[in-house]
Amino acid sequence: MRSIHPLRGAATAIAVAALAGTLGGCSAGSDPGVTTLNFFQFKGEAREDFDAIIAKFEAENPDIKVVQNQVADADTIIRTLLVKDKAPDVITLNGNGNFGRLAQAGVFYDFSDEPVLDTINPAVQDILADLGNKQGEVNSLGYVNNANGIIYNADIFAEQGIEVPETWDELIAACETLKAAGIQPIYATLADSWTSVPSFNGLGAYAVQDGFFDEMRAEGEDVGPDSEASFAQDFAEPLDRELQLYSYAQDGYRGATYDDGNAAFARGEAAMLLQGIWAVNGIKQVNPDIHAAIFPYPTDDEADRLIVSGVDVTVTMGRNTPHREEALRFIEFMFRPDVIEEFAASQNMIPSVEGADLSDDLALQSVKPFFDEGRITGFLDHQIPPGIPLAEFVQESIFTGDADATLATLDNEWRKIAARTIPVTEDRS
Amino acid sequence: MSTLTEAVRSSASGGSRSRRADRIRSSSPRALSAYYWMIWPAVIAFALFHTVPMLVGVFFSFTNYAGYGDWDFVGISNYLNLFKDDRVWGAYGFSFLFAIVATVLTNAISLAIAMGLNAKIKARNFFRGVYFVPYVLAMLVIGYVFQYLFTNSLPKLLPGIPLIADNILSNPDWAWLAIVTLAVWQGCAFTIIIYLSGLQTIPSELYEAASLDGASTWRQFWAITFPLISAFFTINVVLSLKGYLQVFDPIVALTNGGPGTSTESVTMLIFKGGYGGGEFAYQTANAVVFFIVITIVSLLQFRVLQRREADA
Repeated sequence: MRSIHPLRGAATAIAVAALAGTLGGCSAGSDPGVTTLNFFQFKGEAREDFDAIIAKFEAENPDIKVVQNQVADADTIIRTLLVKDKAPDVITLNGNGNFGRLAQAGVFYDFSDEPVLDTINPAVQDILADLGNKQGEVNSLGYVNNANGIIYNADIFAEQGIEVPETWDELIAACETLKAAGIQPIYATLADSWTSVPSFNGLGAYAVQDGFFDEMRAEGEDVGPDSEASFAQDFAEPLDRELQLYSYAQDGYRGATYDDGNAAFARGEAAMLLQGIWAVNGIKQVNPDIHAAIFPYPTDDEADRLIVSGVDVTVTMGRNTPHREEALRFIEFMFRPDVIEEFAASQNMIPSVEGADLSDDLALQSVKPFFDEGRITGFLDHQIPPGIPLAEFVQESIFTGDADATLATLDNEWRKIAARTIPVTEDRS
Repeated sequence: MSTLTEAVRSSASGGSRSRRADRIRSSSPRALSAYYWMIWPAVIAFALFHTVPMLVGVFFSFTNYAGYGDWDFVGISNYLNLFKDDRVWGAYGFSFLFAIVATVLTNAISLAIAMGLNAKIKARNFFRGVYFVPYVLAMLVIGYVFQYLFTNSLPKLLPGIPLIADNILSNPDWAWLAIVTLAVWQGCAFTIIIYLSGLQTIPSELYEAASLDGASTWRQFWAITFPLISAFFTINVVLSLKGYLQVFDPIVALTNGGPGTSTESVTMLIFKGGYGGGEFAYQTANAVVFFIVITIVSLLQFRVLQRREADA
């Protein structure tokens, strides 16, 4: 879901230089008795919301000053800072595979004994634990989550008398009803290959609940049709189902882009969109009055349903920050229900703190029960090595209709990467 | 490059010139220091920003460096794994297929257009300008225009042809053809310029003499035009093939290597796997191998084409 920019290197260099400038600037010339916290912040669209949080915090805590460093391409820059032993005091990052690898390396603080941990939804912390922590530690605190399901137009569903599908058969029946009524069931946007992945995550979530990736990692280069776990065996049904869903997509879906899909859905041209909650803002820009809600990708039994959720913002701090006490105070402030509620509502995300209220947005409210009951699970593609071009492979399988070939390719790529990845020896420093 | 100057010289009347050149050279045993000042900065900058990073890259190809953090030496295992990786073989296959087809098409089309632009046609300078425009435009900009063309316009214009109606870019077997179309469309502009300058070195008396002898236009082309611009042909073929083997931008704009890995060139694979895929050292090894392959191909081409030039 991240695009790779050719100028990444140059941008990184500039950003690091800029960051170094601010770091140098804040260490000198401040009042005695005032601690300055360096706050590393990755999310461009959250800059102003964090500015508001900081202003409120500084008003309540005159002895602490927080400097927000909002950076582009945070994954690269945080590595650079960590390698140089210049870990920022407070860090926000996206909870993705890269973050898990960093956390496993033990560069972040251990929150196991901090009281703030107990206020957070355990299901959110489980998602982070799946990404990776240093053995026996809790290295970050989930802040706000997204939700990945099927976005549907509640008005169209109501007009056609369709209940929200709770099993796979009900979903297919709903598609058929819509088709018979002359309504486009699904708007698909495969010109952007990554848009094939959210539904892969949603449908595949049920296949990975029983330790699929642990087995895959244990099998390593022996993954194949005869091994304990393999894409060919465990993902045959999810991928087949994804192809089945795409058979209800509009004509010309191969040429439609993500933005086309949001616009078309907003105009009511289709009843469903295979996208997560991040698309809702784009949809509402086109049509602010639309009633867009979300339901999880169903499976055979309605009781098993899970909504796929990623930790959009996770909060942590440097392992050895000299301002431990002050940094913790800022983090505890961030997780105060009134503070996190306002932030989550503004970002259209689900707050991690138990008991914190969600905004009235229909999409958020529709997934709330799943968060309350802890029926959430992480993005499975975070567990797949980034060297495997998953989006291109899933897209190809939809184009060709040959799911078996794609699954065999995935197994083959997994084997090769397992075979050629030689872990760095631990005791180097 | 010597062949190029030879060709140019052979069309000018040389004779006493070489002796005069000798005299100038012998009159001052050492070149002006200004010449050194012209040479050194470029050499130093080149070494610093190109050669040194390349050698560092070669060094890291023997490690398991991920692009950050710690690393260990792993010997030549990256190189051994390259040969076992079918995705790498696929990328080489795509790159060579693409490069050969695009080189042939570019040179055939460019030569034809250059001949037309060299003839006494109406509004000649206007047409020369028009055919140079693709070279001025940024590849990514045209790329996105072509992408729109392939995904939206062509399917509506030609709904009768299944391959095009279904968006050729989404067809794993034929998407490469769309990339060839874009690359050739842009690549022709520069190739035409080189052929044009070559055609202008041919003295018109040769054609007059040939037509007096009754040679057909076809015969004139093979007996006069082609042999006399063979140096330009060599340059164009070598440059095109080298450039097309390293194809990157048109793929980014059109398919980003997909569907699947069907349009993944070697450079695309190096970029994707090395940066996005976190296998920096492995793909650096791939880059080293690719560098060697391109060098060998270019040298071989010069050999073969120069021999043919000498025969002609």
